[in-house]
Amino acid sequence: MDILSTYYNLIPVSLAQGAVYAFVAIGVMIPFRLLSLPDLTAEGSFPLGAAVAAALLANGMGIMPAMGLALLAGALAGALTAVIHVFFKVTSLLAGIIVLTMMFSINIRVMGKPNTALFSHDTLFTILLNADGGTPITQFAVLSVMLAALCLLLYWFLHTELGLALRAVGSNQTMARAQGLSTTLYIIAGLAGAGALAALGGSVMAQYQSYADVNMGVGVLVIGLAATILGEAILRGSTLARQILAPVVGSLLYFQFVAIALSLGFKPSDLKLLTGLFVLFALALPMIRSKFKRNSSR
Amino acid sequence: MTAAAKQAGVIVSGLQKTFFPGTVQEKRALDGVSFSLAPGEFAIVIGSNGAGKSTMLNAISGEVQVDEGTISIAGKAIEQWPTHKRAGYISRVFQDPMQGTAASLTIEENLAISARRGKRRSFRAGLQVAEREEFRSALEPLGLGLENRLKDRVSLLSGGQRQSLTLIMATLQAPQLLLLDEHTAALDPRAADMVIRSTLSAVEDRQITTLMITHNMEQAIAHGDRLLMMHEGRVVLDLAKDEKAKLTTADLVTRFHDVVSDRMLLS
Repeated sequence: MDILSTYYNLIPVSLAQGAVYAFVAIGVMIPFRLLSLPDLTAEGSFPLGAAVAAALLANGMGIMPAMGLALLAGALAGALTAVIHVFFKVTSLLAGIIVLTMMFSINIRVMGKPNTALFSHDTLFTILLNADGGTPITQFAVLSVMLAALCLLLYWFLHTELGLALRAVGSNQTMARAQGLSTTLYIIAGLAGAGALAALGGSVMAQYQSYADVNMGVGVLVIGLAATILGEAILRGSTLARQILAPVVGSLLYFQFVAIALSLGFKPSDLKLLTGLFVLFALALPMIRSKFKRNSSR
Repeated sequence: MTAAAKQAGVIVSGLQKTFFPGTVQEKRALDGVSFSLAPGEFAIVIGSNGAGKSTMLNAISGEVQVDEGTISIAGKAIEQWPTHKRAGYISRVFQDPMQGTAASLTIEENLAISARRGKRRSFRAGLQVAEREEFRSALEPLGLGLENRLKDRVSLLSGGQRQSLTLIMATLQAPQLLLLDEHTAALDPRAADMVIRSTLSAVEDRQITTLMITHNMEQAIAHGDRLLMMHEGRVVLDLAKDEKAKLTTADLVTRFHDVVSDRMLLS
């Protein structure tokens, strides 16, 4: 009973947290699923977005321009990974690791220190809700509206000529080139878009917790992957709408599992181990299944 | 494009390509390939394995950068262009049925991509409702029922169906040059026959300038206006339609051995 009531009390906060992480989860889904290009840059572009937004807000800039610049910074980080990958033929994974490592120094330069507090400054939540930044439920409502708008925008874009071409590049680069598509340009644009979303997520997170820290990106990629895999498992079919919604639904669900784990007495520091085990399990599942099938048919 | 430029057709001159130069694996794949095709001409390319047929096609399409030589299509020198820019003039069907289509996209989405080959893409809808009718009538002659499956993902199709779709995508807008790289080699005999028939009706009815590689000597003799035989990175035999018409498969094999032994004697 104690566990249940602890979890019950955690539901609003975990929903709000899930909604905050949904942005970066979409930013992780795009390279892995739409571009078929595993990319780790989110670990650097997420704190970059937080750092840029926090530094600008702390200096008195308005919320919209601060978030806009955070988004732009993330796009540049994503584009940098893509440029390293396509022009220097470095694998996308390594290119992303190089960029996220460099991002650590850049993020400290951006803030002038390893972290920035926003407690005495206006944020998205203090402006839209109340001076305290609202309750978890109202925060969740605000974030849901933003996420819905973002998903609709993404759905529309992926059905335009450019969006369709981007998906073709992600599906088959040889075909894409033969059909007149510059795979180089589309990969740069695609990773820039993913970086922009991860940074947007970072800027939302900085305002949500009124705090930006240079280490806040650690583990965010695996959370994004876990969310995407969870969402894909829950949502049926294979349409584009499902692919776009999967990281959002998955992120909300993921933080429910986190809340349950915490209610069960796990420490917050155990979560990365649990998340890693979950992603490992999801990745290993096809292999386990085929092994099992082979054994049972013997 | 002016009428004169269109008249120019395809001119390939002195293509040279060496893979892994300066290493033990050094391989001269193209050693001065030259030929030209008149607009609407359908040329068949034959030759033994390693003769340079696929490298030549890759050089023309842009997937392989040549060391030397020029390629001009419709009066434009394209040898410096990247593949995607050449795609405005050239379309292609690959040997591997998986290469020519995007598996995670639907049939109609694949067709919509190719309907815009060589055109500027924007934030307009990637697929107009009115296009579906055009796609259906393009797919119908295949007789595969694909016209009723526009919303199916291409990953659900068989190799033969995918190759047929690639062919339709390659000819939806008539290209200045169509490249077919043993595009029936990976298919079972029935599917291969079907794809070859669709190819001939597309190429011959619409007078598309075409280069087709094949290993099938009967096909090579029965179809096309020209026959190019390649050996060791060169075109060693170039027969026009009337000469080609008199050939039998046995003749062709004899001619091949003659050419090859002549070259060996000379070198």
